[in-house]
Amino acid sequence: MKVITQEALKAWLDRLAGETALFAPRSVDGIVLYRPVSRSGEIVFDYTRPKMSPKEAIFPSTDNIVSFEKHSQDVTLPEPALEKQQVVFGLRPCDAHGINVLDAVFIGREPVDLSYARRREATTLVGLSCPQMWEGCFCTSMGGAPDDPSHMDVLLTAVVGGYTVNAITEKGKALFAGLELSELTGEPPHPTVGETVPVMPVGQWPKRFTDRYWELLAERCIGCRVCTYVCPTCRCFDVRDQVAERRTNYARYDRLRCWDACTGPNYRVTAGGHNPRPTKGARLRNRFFCKFYYMSQDYGPTGCVGCGRCIEACPVNIDIVEVLHDVSKTSVATEVTA
Amino acid sequence: MTGNGHDPMRPDLGRLVGTKTLGTDIKLFQIELTEPAGRQHFNDYQPGQFAFVSALGVGEAPFGITSIPSQGVLEFGIAKLGSVTDALHSLEVGETIGVRGPLGNWFPMDEIKRKNIIVLGGGIGGAPLRPVINSILEHRNEYGRLTILWAARNPSLLVFTDEYAKWQSAPDTELHLTVDRGDERWKAAGRNEGLITQLLEKVSPSPNNAVTITCGPPIMIHFASLTLKKLGFSLEQMWTTLEARMHCGIGKCGRCNMGEKLVCADGPVFRQDRVAGFLESFL
Repeated sequence: MKVITQEALKAWLDRLAGETALFAPRSVDGIVLYRPVSRSGEIVFDYTRPKMSPKEAIFPSTDNIVSFEKHSQDVTLPEPALEKQQVVFGLRPCDAHGINVLDAVFIGREPVDLSYARRREATTLVGLSCPQMWEGCFCTSMGGAPDDPSHMDVLLTAVVGGYTVNAITEKGKALFAGLELSELTGEPPHPTVGETVPVMPVGQWPKRFTDRYWELLAERCIGCRVCTYVCPTCRCFDVRDQVAERRTNYARYDRLRCWDACTGPNYRVTAGGHNPRPTKGARLRNRFFCKFYYMSQDYGPTGCVGCGRCIEACPVNIDIVEVLHDVSKTSVATEVTA
Repeated sequence: MTGNGHDPMRPDLGRLVGTKTLGTDIKLFQIELTEPAGRQHFNDYQPGQFAFVSALGVGEAPFGITSIPSQGVLEFGIAKLGSVTDALHSLEVGETIGVRGPLGNWFPMDEIKRKNIIVLGGGIGGAPLRPVINSILEHRNEYGRLTILWAARNPSLLVFTDEYAKWQSAPDTELHLTVDRGDERWKAAGRNEGLITQLLEKVSPSPNNAVTITCGPPIMIHFASLTLKKLGFSLEQMWTTLEARMHCGIGKCGRCNMGEKLVCADGPVFRQDRVAGFLESFL
């Protein structure tokens, strides 16, 4: 296996940042987030799990999907600009699994969502293995691992003096072509893994739909929607227009796609006022069923990658791992874990 | 990866060529598509399909298509209920409008040929049923008896009143109206007052070789199916089209799911036995 030194990697990232858009872990007011960077010095290499997933590099929280230009009474829709090539550096293996779920929704099921697909095509994923599972992580229970190269273009793994380079796709190999890499001496590192969480088989979920458990669990939910915000696979969106520019005989309207969340109270309310999901319990249940049942039925992959971000972010300690334990109990789970 | 290059979120541009008041705060919108690609998209849509209509600068919302392709012009019956529909209602004839579709599945017009058809429309829910009626009338001898039960909260909300004479005069076709609360004129004429379920019991259509097609508020769909069961109809004979809030219409935005079913992509037309099997209720 090939190895790149820390210095060579930084030099490579500096060069890359000059040629293409680069997203990487960066400290923002003491919090590590995936953000655009212009040089390697801005990148944090020693991080655990960034608070937010890198999904926003491909599926931005607000995205202009269509524009309308109005000259007097004449309306035209300008062609979207070509997507700039971008590299997401330092994403974790669970995040690549998350992008795979988004791919299944936006590209895998017809019709292809063009604005997502264009950006996805222009994106190269260069991941960084986790040396261990962090607090709340359960990727190994969701088909992943701290050093899983699935859905990555390149996966780097820290070793003494540098990183092993596992270039998986042609896109990934092209990025590292021509670089001087040395051979790894000794064994590649093995990350420490945590406990396995019992995940109820997909087919069992419908039987638990009417459990009282969901209403009890939701008693403490405040509908803040942060769980969906930090989730690498949550992709619900709203679409609104905004007036971007208006002057005599000219106006431009932008149609914006914004992240939305099924845990919000008005999520399903129709214009006539009907709300088929009127209780917090029903909404929270939808989130869990979406992850562990609906996603697989509608798009293929399971909707949870075990990153644990929602556990860390929830202000009232609703814990997806606890939920998995609770629902996997053979008796009907009506009590909420204290 | 980018499919056929067509962006399914991009609306086709059209011009509002006519409007007509259908009821209190309900208008018919007639749209002529102005781009060749748009005309191609709407070349051959089916009864029960829907489309997003855009008020530029405000947003878009989904509506059942209320015309049939042979009419040429594309029509929607739209009640004024929110920001997008407010903006649509204030558009002048000649202004630009966006349309995205046609989307979703449709009523099984071929499968129900030679059957007696009972159409149950409640309020603005009549809009997506008008293409069913007009498509049957266009191919009148291919279908059995057509019984239309048409309801609204009050007489001013009964839609497509100027077409009732045409429907009634078609061979083997009957129209029954009811309103929850009649006004003076309605009462004086001794017309039906009460819910569509009461009208249904009164008309009491036979379930033999028959199918029902229902659209209206969820609660109406639910109780109509109970009454139909009482009259001897099986759930397999009942078809309905469901409403749901949606933002894409193409199975992406996650908004319209009822359990694992997506109203936009798996529907909006469902057979009632499948609705009954939904993990999550539409009510």
